[in-house]
Order: sequence, then structure tokens, then C-alpha cells
Amino acid sequence: MSTTDVKEVVVKVENLEVSFGEKKIIHNVSFNVKRGEIIGFFGISGAGKTTIIRVLTCQISQQNWTGNVHVTNLNPGSKKNHSKILSNIGYVPQLEELNLYYDITPLKNVEVFASCYAMKKKEAISIAKELFSILDIPEDTWNKPLKKMSGGEKKRVSMAIGLIHKPDILFLDEPTTGVDAAKRYDVLSYLKKLNRRLGTTMFLITHDMEAALIVDRAAILRDGKLLEFDSNINLITSLPSNGHVARFSIENLNEDKINIVKRFPDTTNIKTIRVGNEALEVLMDDFEKNLSKLIRFMMENGLKINAMSRDVAAFRRYFQLRIQEEEENERLLRIQQESIEGVEI
Amino acid sequence: MAKSKTNNNWNSGTFFNRLKYSLWRIVRQVKKEFQLLKIDKMNLVIALLMPPGIIMLFAFMSTSASVTIPVKVSIVSYDSNTFVNQNNYSITTKWDNYTEKYLDAVEESELLELIEFYDASEAEDEYAMETARNEMRDGNIECIIVIPVEFSELLSTGYPGIIELIPDASDAVSIQDKLNAVQDSIKIFVEENDLDPEYILMQHEEFSIPSKYNFRYNYNMTILLPFMTFGISFVLTILVVVQEKPIARLLLTPVQKTEILISKYIVYSIVLALQVFLVLSVAIANGLYIAGNVIDLYLSLYMLGFAGVSLGMFISTVSNTKTEANQLYFAFFILIILLSGMFVPIDAMPDYLQNIAYMLPLSHGAPIIKGILSKGKSFIGFDFFWLLGISTVLIIISFLVMNRKRYEV
Repeated sequence: MSTTDVKEVVVKVENLEVSFGEKKIIHNVSFNVKRGEIIGFFGISGAGKTTIIRVLTCQISQQNWTGNVHVTNLNPGSKKNHSKILSNIGYVPQLEELNLYYDITPLKNVEVFASCYAMKKKEAISIAKELFSILDIPEDTWNKPLKKMSGGEKKRVSMAIGLIHKPDILFLDEPTTGVDAAKRYDVLSYLKKLNRRLGTTMFLITHDMEAALIVDRAAILRDGKLLEFDSNINLITSLPSNGHVARFSIENLNEDKINIVKRFPDTTNIKTIRVGNEALEVLMDDFEKNLSKLIRFMMENGLKINAMSRDVAAFRRYFQLRIQEEEENERLLRIQQESIEGVEI
Repeated sequence: MAKSKTNNNWNSGTFFNRLKYSLWRIVRQVKKEFQLLKIDKMNLVIALLMPPGIIMLFAFMSTSASVTIPVKVSIVSYDSNTFVNQNNYSITTKWDNYTEKYLDAVEESELLELIEFYDASEAEDEYAMETARNEMRDGNIECIIVIPVEFSELLSTGYPGIIELIPDASDAVSIQDKLNAVQDSIKIFVEENDLDPEYILMQHEEFSIPSKYNFRYNYNMTILLPFMTFGISFVLTILVVVQEKPIARLLLTPVQKTEILISKYIVYSIVLALQVFLVLSVAIANGLYIAGNVIDLYLSLYMLGFAGVSLGMFISTVSNTKTEANQLYFAFFILIILLSGMFVPIDAMPDYLQNIAYMLPLSHGAPIIKGILSKGKSFIGFDFFWLLGISTVLIIISFLVMNRKRYEV
């Protein structure tokens, strides 16, 4: 790694392991984040996303974790670094009520949090107004009690407060949770806008796959293990046929019918995902060559196809396939272990 | 189609059928409520144990209230025919020594406890009256019995005796008790000495409120001022930590837990200073009689209020939920009120309750306020330093608990 690269890295995590008592929560996780990037950590509940963010934001005592971790070149394991690290980072929690004082105005909230960084009131208000404008928070709400604002507006005020001291990194915990479907894209586009305008590094943890639209690199976590960490495009193109997917609507779709598809003889690399009751998505090698053969194979085996379409897989599909693959690997490993134990007995 | 186990036609069928399903739903709801209740175990424990605890406390206090507490007295004798040697109590008289006989009667009475006898005749103890008054100011005695110059002579010659009584009038409610106790001693004295039952009991109240002041208002203020100052500052702070959700977020800035707590103490100390100032201003404007110094009164009220702030902050820090804080507040407040001596004198309580009572802030704060208002005492003394000590202990515990508390966003 060159000297320039070292400077660019704002979060470095090597062999991170987190345990509480006997229970290991994070297993040997390593990654780094470069200045100006938007990083997304994706995983279902209990995957360990929040635990990692808590280590990075000095919320978990060094007694509970091991590894080489640096945030803005400072080790969060050392208590004397906490104040500096917390000055260098911003945080937007999942729930606004944990971040905001609802009875006072957005600008007064800004004053409260800016004072924690020893910022002057005038400077804080000036930055807040700039952030509020970028985030399209209506000016007539700036001096009204926060409780009168809509959920989306509160979320944006929360983001502005996270950025008030111009942090190097902004951590966002489930930024789209609690926001209705239509507004989720707004929240994500505001984050992208902030990243472009201010150059702030963003580290978001979420189970909302739509967030992958704005991230530069995505990490997939499962049971405390980091399965993947790469750009969205690299992850999708690593799928068979660069992620080309055929979507079939099959009458009375069930496991038996899916198993028939999996037995398609012309390729060994075939992946299937059931979507809803009747739809099945299929990815395979040599997509163009094999698609017509697959359709014929399915019909010959009694599968009634009502409709068919083709597309390129989105991150959501990649995530599902990766998790599915991991579960299958674990299942096979378990069977293998059980059989070994059986032989030993 | 097979009949479903759970019938969907809940609102149809017979009355008993509907009743049955209604009861079933209620049972499910009750089960759910119990599950919710079990989550906050501390709250449940307080809710279940506090009411019987209060009843038991009342019962203990009521039982002990039937015990007679003798009135503590000192006797100052100016009876010129009487000489009592303080060292060996040898007495020389010209007339029958009725002072000695009265002393016997006082000692025999169960309603009086003789603390000190001063012989002020023949200038034996010229500062006797001043010493006795100081004793009463300090609360060591509750009244002074003065035996006049011709006490033995009058009784020996068949005249009615005269006894002067100086009760501590700062506790207006108990004046009658003191009078009754002295009358009991006179009754014993008359019966045992076969005297004419006629006697004159002259009463001069000490530390009473001057006549130009409203007695009822001033008497009530000696109780109300400490209760109100303590109670309001206490209730004001019980939720300040526990209900502030963004504390967890504040801790993700360079701000420390101790800084958050210190800032709260500062704010509520300033509010308290203003509160005490307003309370005193209004009280004085309405004719509050202050025998002592108004600055002493301000400082002692402030100290008592600060003990309330410290206790409130302590509760707010140790509680995990607002409900828990409210429950703890109620439990503490009931305990403090019950054991403050307002319902039953602290000295009449069993020893273990006295020990608890004397640990509580109001048991020390109320006497300071009363002493300044009625007796002109200074705020400096054991009670003041006790309040300071207990506040310090509560603050230290609050900081320790706060530092151990986990906040997560």
C-alpha cells in the first residue's frame, strides 16, 4: 500500500473480533474505508452491523474486542482517543427521538449539539443554515418546535446535526428506517448530495437494499462474518453471466418444480431464487446460449410458464443469493460434521 | 371443510357462546398485560411492596406514639429560704423547704424529665436564667420552671404557691402538653404535702411570635417553608436524567457523562437559588417573622433544597424508566414525610425508626428553619452539616451510577 493510500484510509479494521462473555458476536472482520466514500453495511437483524459501528464509535469497551482498529488514524480501544475520535465523526441514529430534542426548534437543537464540539453559536448557525438548505428543510420550520415537523423533515434535521461539526466520517444507523417508501429514495439522494457537496465519508448500516444505489462499496454481513466487501458493480458481475437473470412466472410453483429447474443439465452453475408465490428467477452460465434450452427443459418437465422476462440482477438479488449460498454451505458443513461424529461413535 | 378450532363467528350464536369468547379474549389480554408487567420487575416490586410497607410503618409509628415522652425541663429557683448545695445536694432552710419537695414531685411525675436544677437564690447562680434560656434555644429543654423568691415562705404561711412556667413557644402545638405536664407535677406536689390545692401558674412564653405578626400564618410557615422547598426541588429533578433520551446521542460527541450531570446540577442549583429567593420574598412580604438573620434563613433553605435536588438527581440517575423514577420518588417522599416528625415526634419512634428518620434530610432541615425563624439561631450547626454531608454522598453515588450506566443509540 502506498503512502498516499494510507492517508486516504479513514477507517481501518483488521481481524476484528467482538465477544460478550462466551458469545462471539463478530468473527475476524477486516475492511477499510477511504476518504469520501459511501460505504454500506448490509445484513439482516443480528448480523453484527450495529456491533461494528459501536466499536468504531467508541461505544464498546476494549475488554470486549480484539483487532487492529483505527478511526481517523486513532485507536478506539484507547480511552484517551475517544474524545478526539468523537470530534472527528458524526452520528445519525436510527430513531430521531434519540438524537433530537423535540420541544425546541431545529436551530436550537443545532446549538445544543454544536456546543458539544465547543463551536461558536454564529458558526454553528451558519453551517446549519447551509445544511438545511442542501437538505431542503423549509425555512419557515427552522424556528418552530421540532415536534411540529414531519418524520422526513426530522430525519433530515438529524442528518444536519450529524454533520454540524464537519466530521470526517458520518455514521448512519438505518437511515431509511421509519421513512415511508416514497421518501426513502429522497433520504438516500440527500445523503448522496451531501457526500458530493461536502465530500464527507459516509458509513451506513442498513437492511434496506435500496441503499445500495448510493454506496460506493457494499459489505454483506451474516452472523458476525463479513461475507463480501466490494463495489456494487463488482459484486453483481461476479454472478453467473454478469448477473443476467431470467424471471419466470410458473403455475403452482413449489419446491419440487424448483428442484426440476436446478437439475437443468446444460450447466452446473445455475442459481434460483423464489420471488413471491409464483415467480422464479434463474441465473446461469452462458445465459444467452442456455436460456432457450432452459425454457424447453422446463416445459418438457411439465412446468407451465405463464410469463417470462429478463433483466440484470439488482444488489437485492445478489444479497439474497449470497446469503442463500452461505446457508447452504453451513448446512452441508453441519451434515459433514454430523457424519464424522457418527463414524467416531 | 373441517370446522376450525377457533370459531370465527364470535359475535353470533348464543349469549353464552359470545360470553365464552369474550372471556377468552380477556384472559389472553390479561396474560399479555402480565408479560408486559414482568418486563419492568423493579416497578412491580415497588408497586407490590410499597403499600404494605407504608401501612407497617404507620402501624409501628402509631404503636410507639402511645408511649409518653416526658417534657424536658430545667428548674430555676429564686426561693430565698432555700439553699441547695450543687455538689452534695445538702439543703438548709428557715421555712419548710418546699423547693426540694417540688423537685421530688417533678422527679416523680412521669410527664416531666428534669434536665437541670439551677439555684439562683442568694446570687448562687446569677447566670442561671440565661443558661437555661440558651439550653432551650439549643433544643435541649422544652420549658423552664421558675420558682419565685417567696415560694416556701408563702406555702409555709398558708398562702397559695406561685410557679412560673416559660415554655418553648416555637412549637405552638405542644404548649398545652407542657402546661399539662407541669400541672401534673403540681398535683403530685400538692397531694404529697397536703397543701391547699390553690396555686398560681404564671406562664411566659419564650420564642413566641410577637403579637403584631399573624400567629397562624407564621406557625404554618415554619412547617410549610422546609416542606415546600425540599419537596419542589426534589420533584423537579426526579426525571431530568431518566427522561432525556438524546443523552445517548450526546455521548457520541466529546461530551462526558460527568459533564452532563454537572451541567444539570448547575442548572437546578440556579433554579433553586431563584426559587428560594422568590419563596422568601413572598413569605416576608406576607408578614413572615424571622427572629434570626434573613441570610441564615436563605442559606439554610437553599441547603435543604439542595438536598432535595441531590435526592431527585440520585433517583433520576439510578432509575431505568420514568415509571421507576416516579415510584421511587413516591416511596422516598412518603418515607421522608412520615418520618419527619410531623405525624409522630421522632423521639417517640422506636430506635430503628429514629435512626432512619435522622438520616433523612427533612428531619434535619425543618429544625434549622424553625430555629432561625422562632429562636434566632444561626444556620451553622450539626443539622446543616448533616444536610451538606448527605447531599455530597448522594451526588457521589449519582456520579458513580451515571458512569456505570450504559447508554446506547
